[in-house]
Amino acid sequence: MFPNFRLSMTWLHTWFGLLLGFVLMVAFFFGSLSVFDREIDRWAIPATRIEARPMPSFDTTLAPIFRTITDPDPDELAAAKTRVSQPLPDKLAVMTWSAFTTHRDPVLRMFVEFKVPNSPLPDDHIHGSITIDPRDGKQLPENRLAIGSEFFYPMHFSLHLNWADIGYWIVGFAALAMLAALVSGVVMHRKIFREFFTFRPNKKIQRSTLDLHNLSGVVALPFHFLWALSGLIIFAGLYFPVLGTMMRPLAAAQEKLEATQTGLDLEPSGTPGTLASVDGMVAEAKAMWVERGVPGEVGFLIVHHVGSSNAYVSVYRDNTDRVGGGPGLHFQGSTGKLIHEDPPEGAVSTVNSFLIGMHLQRFKHWTLRWLIFAGGILSSVCIVTGLVFFVEKRKRQHSEQRRSGARWADALAVTTVTGMVVATLAILVANRLLPEELAQRDLWEKSTFWAAWALCLVHAIWRSSAVLKARTSPAWAEQCWAIVVLAIGAVLLNAVTTGDHLFKTLSEGYWPVAGTDLMMLACAALAAIAARRLQRRATAAARAVDQDSELREVRHA
Amino acid sequence: MPDAVLLIAALFTACLGMAWLALAMDVHWKQVCGSASPSPVISKLLRGLGFATLLAALLLCLEADTATMAVLVWMMALAVAAVTVAFVLSWRPRLLAVLLPWRRPTAR
Repeated sequence: MFPNFRLSMTWLHTWFGLLLGFVLMVAFFFGSLSVFDREIDRWAIPATRIEARPMPSFDTTLAPIFRTITDPDPDELAAAKTRVSQPLPDKLAVMTWSAFTTHRDPVLRMFVEFKVPNSPLPDDHIHGSITIDPRDGKQLPENRLAIGSEFFYPMHFSLHLNWADIGYWIVGFAALAMLAALVSGVVMHRKIFREFFTFRPNKKIQRSTLDLHNLSGVVALPFHFLWALSGLIIFAGLYFPVLGTMMRPLAAAQEKLEATQTGLDLEPSGTPGTLASVDGMVAEAKAMWVERGVPGEVGFLIVHHVGSSNAYVSVYRDNTDRVGGGPGLHFQGSTGKLIHEDPPEGAVSTVNSFLIGMHLQRFKHWTLRWLIFAGGILSSVCIVTGLVFFVEKRKRQHSEQRRSGARWADALAVTTVTGMVVATLAILVANRLLPEELAQRDLWEKSTFWAAWALCLVHAIWRSSAVLKARTSPAWAEQCWAIVVLAIGAVLLNAVTTGDHLFKTLSEGYWPVAGTDLMMLACAALAAIAARRLQRRATAAARAVDQDSELREVRHA
Repeated sequence: MPDAVLLIAALFTACLGMAWLALAMDVHWKQVCGSASPSPVISKLLRGLGFATLLAALLLCLEADTATMAVLVWMMALAVAAVTVAFVLSWRPRLLAVLLPWRRPTAR
């Protein structure tokens, strides 16, 4: 099909890059924002702008609240009803209670798993969750959308397309294509080392775009590779579900064997039992960590077989000082005695938890957090420049042949690059403008996001007719100006509606809000520079065309 | 030394190492010094210095954090340092002349 290997790699890189570049852009841009998801949450929910705090007492604070969570998430319940043979009972049995926190969380997320009876799926369950203020145990209002952790973060791996997990599959396929694009990119690139530091901003757009594509691609190659790979590994169970399908009997036998060895029962006993002091178990766990020279706080706590005589409690450290996870400690619920400790991880498991930990970043290391954010931005730059290069390389030829391929690629590129930033800022602006007590406020916020994005698509398609004449679409510059207005608007609205203006947050050193504001201002500045440069270039090009036609007229005269 | 100081030093050292590696290349030497290529000896020396400095950055990272974390910090620091050096070479190449203290600034 192709005369040589390099050309076949070029074909792969070009077309898979174009097709999935749009998806990758979403994954990497929102992935980068997810590095600071908790900080964006603080910006979006002003009532939670308080210092992060450790897990509160289970016995006095958490246990009474867990007992009040009796209803699963309505969407999950509706989905569960479709997969069972008999109608579900009014109250579902509680399987587990759990709470998760990190060193960046001032609020605590609490989860309850409910058993779905008569389901064809093994261990079928649905969730109920609430978020509380750990200072007084009060539940946060339900209609407050944590834009960072509940909207941007799931966007980067599911695109919010939850039907049949289709979004996860699209992103997974894109990550796989990214791995292929990296390998083929290295094969195509003839001067990896000779042009390692090369960026020539003053050459023609096509050349400088390719320079930036190569630069951002090559210098952060390990980052691109490791993050696409670890993203795939995190959802390996979804993409490659053999343990739940083909190998289910083997996996079930293994689980059973492990349960007999560890003493941690797989199923509730059926006889009711009482729960000893979980605070006592936590104190014992903390004492063990101190003894081992790794003192720490609790990150994750889970009670299995709630209310049953064989209930057990697993306590995990928050592991702020390491990349991977740590061993869990498991206590007998009725007595509070330690019954099992996870053994040290083997080689495969260590690598696995390192890759996953690196992607999830639960550690406390702000330098590394920022560096990883920078890596995500470099990936985004690499994808954007790839898309722009695709258009630049073809637009003249397509214009002469009266083909519209470059135009459509450009319109989609505008939508996924500047349009996505516009939508991101639009949801933050909506978050500050919508009345606090509005019913389904979260739905309004999400709708603003999608509406803004759709508007950007329409605008990009409308303005991209310029590409048909081999010019740059004015949509790029215009949407950059929209970014400037929205970013500055969001910062001002935050100051007006919450009183937490930059002078205050900076002087108090409250970084979650100060940082979000500063990043939006930086984004506005960059967008303004980009818009001005684009427009200056466009005027210069238009003048050149005018002079050209004048000269022609003079010659004809 | 506090970790913050070590990490700042590591980032700075990574930039320094990347800059020397760039200066060992003809194109970038010309951008910085304006004169023809560096002599082969100088070029080799700069390359050695560059790699040694990047290694020093790794040691600083290892001093600040546990090994698994340090390797990640180093890997990401190298990427950011390389981009920084590339951008300096694009817009303010002359700034890198300070990294060649034995050369007198060329009169222009």
